[in-house]
Amino acid sequence: MTMSDEQLLSSDTESSDDQPAPTPGTDGLTDSTDIDTGERSATERTLLEARDLSVYYGKEQALDSVDIEIPEKQVTAVIGPSGCGKSTFLRSINRMNDLVDAAHVDGELVFDGKNVYDDDVDPVALRRKIGMVFQKPNPFPKSIRDNVAYGLRVQGKDDGDVDEKVHTALERAALLDEVEAQLDSSGLDLSGGQQQRLCIARAIAPDPDVILMDEPASALDPVATSKIEDLIEELAEEYTVVIVTHNMQQAARISDKTAVFLTGGELVEFDDTDKIFENPEHDRVEDYITGKFG
Amino acid sequence: MARKSYQEKLTELREDILYMSEVVMERLRMGLDALEQKDNEMAHEVIKGDGEINRMYLDLEQDCIDLLALQQPVASDLRFIAASFKIITDLERIADLAVNLGEYTLDAKEDLFPDVDVQEMGELTLAMIEDAMIAYDTENIDACRELAARDDDLDQFAERASEIVVRDLIERELDTPEEVEALLQDVSRLLLTIRDLERVGDHAVNIAARTLYMVENDDELIY
Repeated sequence: MTMSDEQLLSSDTESSDDQPAPTPGTDGLTDSTDIDTGERSATERTLLEARDLSVYYGKEQALDSVDIEIPEKQVTAVIGPSGCGKSTFLRSINRMNDLVDAAHVDGELVFDGKNVYDDDVDPVALRRKIGMVFQKPNPFPKSIRDNVAYGLRVQGKDDGDVDEKVHTALERAALLDEVEAQLDSSGLDLSGGQQQRLCIARAIAPDPDVILMDEPASALDPVATSKIEDLIEELAEEYTVVIVTHNMQQAARISDKTAVFLTGGELVEFDDTDKIFENPEHDRVEDYITGKFG
Repeated sequence: MARKSYQEKLTELREDILYMSEVVMERLRMGLDALEQKDNEMAHEVIKGDGEINRMYLDLEQDCIDLLALQQPVASDLRFIAASFKIITDLERIADLAVNLGEYTLDAKEDLFPDVDVQEMGELTLAMIEDAMIAYDTENIDACRELAARDDDLDQFAERASEIVVRDLIERELDTPEEVEALLQDVSRLLLTIRDLERVGDHAVNIAARTLYMVENDDELIY
């Protein structure tokens, strides 16, 4: 499912549900919708594109003129040393930086043909289509069912078949088998890995197009991490996943594309993950991923 | 901050492989000398010394596995270890071929085909291994490509040498079945020597091919 103008522009949570699912690339968006280069296969249609994107916190520049095309239904990893701007980039995709008073954005972040920083874009509606999972699992102090249903209710999708959608989301998040008999138990009673998958279920319940993940496994043990990594690869069959990670081996294991940010918010290299980890183009990237720098 | 011990381990691996190549070249030189001088004692030394090369190979293989498992190398480090992993196999095989020369020495009675210059062929192969290892050490990609071309010369040399042996064999007049049997054994040994030295050249090219991959991510010379 892709975004329609109405879905993106409206903050009326009731209005979009009756819209038929638009067909990718033919959903009546602006002329710039089709930003496919023509060189990619149909499965590599660009869904997100940063054009000369810069972000400032006050006078400090956190992202420096980033240009990048993120393909649809693939996993794109964002790596780089601390303070390189990778989380800033992630948060600029669904306008989470709007919540920071001093943040200022230049350039464009185009999502399915529409600049998300246009004045007529509603950030709340945008975040419906671009969900986010954070480093630390943050379930609400509610039941497992309500945690997942919360996303639907808040976003106006409580249309009667919530239970079915909760089940589907838990199933897609590879958690249903483990919690099916205890849906009314508190989400806080789950293990750390299960809580993170619950948060993923909450993020995918409203059926977004993109899932942003900021270090989603860094607080988990290796077994829970492995489950999350398997899940991320499965999610990419349905969603576009952009993941920030400090763990380069994790980026190498699970992503199709890797973006390397270095100091000053500069995107130095973006390419297929195997190219980045076997034969990067830039010496600075080579030095960073081999541990000679950073 | 660079991972110092990791970088030191990479340097150590390179140095250990260069040392292994020196020992292997020495063994090949001894095999050739043993063959030329019919020196059975030296031949035995080469044969007995193969165990040392095998242990060296296994130790270096373990070093490569440890680096892969514990350091999870990427990019040029990964290519260096992957190339080194293959190169030690080539060096170990060259040492096996040197052992063959020792065994031929013990079996050989006399030099029946003076027109075939096994020693010259041996010198060519030794020079190829040495140059391949220098290319590996100095990451010289031009030398890698040049080695591949030199292997064609070695192959032609081997072909000519085999022709000389076969032609000579056809022209010989032998009276008794015993004479035929003795000659066949010597001919077969000489043809095997030529083949083995030609294979040493192939291993030198393999080393150059892996070095080119290591430096440039280029698989042009691999098969």
